Amino acid sequence: MKKSIALIGVIGLILCFSIMMTTGCAKKSVVKEQPVTGEQKAAVAETTKEVVKESPKAEVARVEEESVREKAASAEMLRDINFDFDKFNLKPEAREILKQHADYLAKNADKNVTIEGHCDERGTSEYNLALGERRAKEALKYLKELGISAKRMKTVSYGKEKPLDPGQNEEAWAKNRRDHFVVTP
Amino acid sequence: MKYCKMRSLKLLLCIVCAMLIVSQEYCAYGKVYIDIDSPTFHKFPIAITDFKKTSGDSSHGDLSSWFSDTLGKYLEITGFFNVISKKAFLEDSKQTGVSAGSIRFADWTVIGAEYLVKGTFQDRGRELITDFYLFDVVKGAVITAKRYTGKMEDKNAMVRKFANEILYALTGDEGVFNTKIAFALKKGRGSDIYTINFDGTDLARITKHQAITLSPRWSPDGKYISFTSYKDGKPDLYIKAVNAATAVKMANFEGINLAGSWSRDGKRLLLTLSKDGSENLYMMDVTNRNITRLTNSYAIDISPSWSPDNQKIAFVSNRSGSPQIYIMDADGSNIRRLTYEGNYNTSPSWSPKGNRIAYEGLANGRFHIFSIDEDGRNVVKHTADSMDHETPSWSPDGRYLVFSSRGHGKSRISVINANGSNLRILYENINGCMSTSWSPRLK
Repeated sequence: MKKSIALIGVIGLILCFSIMMTTGCAKKSVVKEQPVTGEQKAAVAETTKEVVKESPKAEVARVEEESVREKAASAEMLRDINFDFDKFNLKPEAREILKQHADYLAKNADKNVTIEGHCDERGTSEYNLALGERRAKEALKYLKELGISAKRMKTVSYGKEKPLDPGQNEEAWAKNRRDHFVVTP
Repeated sequence: MKYCKMRSLKLLLCIVCAMLIVSQEYCAYGKVYIDIDSPTFHKFPIAITDFKKTSGDSSHGDLSSWFSDTLGKYLEITGFFNVISKKAFLEDSKQTGVSAGSIRFADWTVIGAEYLVKGTFQDRGRELITDFYLFDVVKGAVITAKRYTGKMEDKNAMVRKFANEILYALTGDEGVFNTKIAFALKKGRGSDIYTINFDGTDLARITKHQAITLSPRWSPDGKYISFTSYKDGKPDLYIKAVNAATAVKMANFEGINLAGSWSRDGKRLLLTLSKDGSENLYMMDVTNRNITRLTNSYAIDISPSWSPDNQKIAFVSNRSGSPQIYIMDADGSNIRRLTYEGNYNTSPSWSPKGNRIAYEGLANGRFHIFSIDEDGRNVVKHTADSMDHETPSWSPDGRYLVFSSRGHGKSRISVINANGSNLRILYENINGCMSTSWSPRLK
């Protein structure tokens, strides 16, 4: 027990030291290497964050945090809606699901929602980024029509970068072409 | 009709010639490497002898054959050389010097060599001095000779430099040995930008964002890479000096912030932004971040790529109902559709030579790499296997295309000669590598 506390202490010290070191170096290199003026402060702040994320512990924590968040979201019962290949129009079954989501959001006025647009792995990252955005915005538009305030909703596209199912077949692709709803307080 | 006849006659002549060359060389010397898949391409038959040590200690192993083998390897990956096997050599290299007068060129013509490389080196501990000579065997004369002075660890760079000299001397255009390919490599839930050398060596990580990071694009001087990263939870645009510790955030409008290609002078960057509702094309002045809007449509407009003279821009739009390649003038006017075959054509990349545009297209359920003339003619399919190929990018000399491939549980970065020959895998893993971008020639 004592040993592990000491170990954590040592790791912490190393981490702090490395942050200080990197920040110091970064300041120099930012001034020298930057393509544009300004934002030096922001850039330095970025490094600090990067270094923190660099440690494996922070990474584990982050992954855990994300999975907790996703579990919480699924507990809220906001199901994904799915799309056809290279399409962003809402299918009838998607509209039915969105009506349930609108009911939920109407009953839980303290909750907000982030609508994530996703695509399957086929095609380019860039075009899929746009397609994912269209999918998310289409759901937002419909929820707004159903009376949910746009202020409570946010969209973000992940394109094809966060597949639900890593499989390379139509079954997996169909699952991955989706809007995912993350409920936030 | 007459034209057709002439063409087929010419083709026949080419094939006959190629067959003659192939058969002649095969009969005489079984060890000669010939790519029979590209009979219309004339590969330079070249012989490289082991380098001679003129002075120095012997602490660095057998550098004599290292120099000849490494140079041969570099020339071979260009797809433009037949490097003749040392086993076919008739010359007793111990008895011969490196001056034109001391070489019996007949010993080389008889084994089919048209060019010959010889060299010497002085190994002085950490210091290294090398002399490279390229001979025209038929004329019996030196074409070019270079001396390089440096440290022992510079020996690879020396060989690459002379390989560039050889290409310059024989084709009038330098090689691309000093270039890198940037790409996004997936790891866990995120991805980072990496670079790899043209020869597949020296994989190096550029970003450490631990978030989804994609679409790297090199500045024309090779010092900066633009990319999009979700480091702060949404797709924002960054620029990073390749050897600096940090990236600078350049655009974080609501929605998508995605970079296209850089202008020739490195001062402007084409962008895709969706801040006003739909994805449209913009141009950013990198020095002051002023933004000019170029397209104004309700459709998706994305992935802009400048023509080498910066007068025109190729991009993707789904304004016709499916994603297709379009071209417009640099100010956003005169938009015309370029691709009509298939219902999914994306990722345009304009050749530095100016006349061709490479892209990714869906054909028979698979994504392949294609290229097309600027006027919509001469569609050529560059890939043929059963993987999905994406994001083509031209080499600075316009002779090669790099792209990412995916399928059979693997992911690859591959290079192919623009004539369809010489497919070479630079990098392979199971996690996913994508968004390839070829650097300019690096100093």
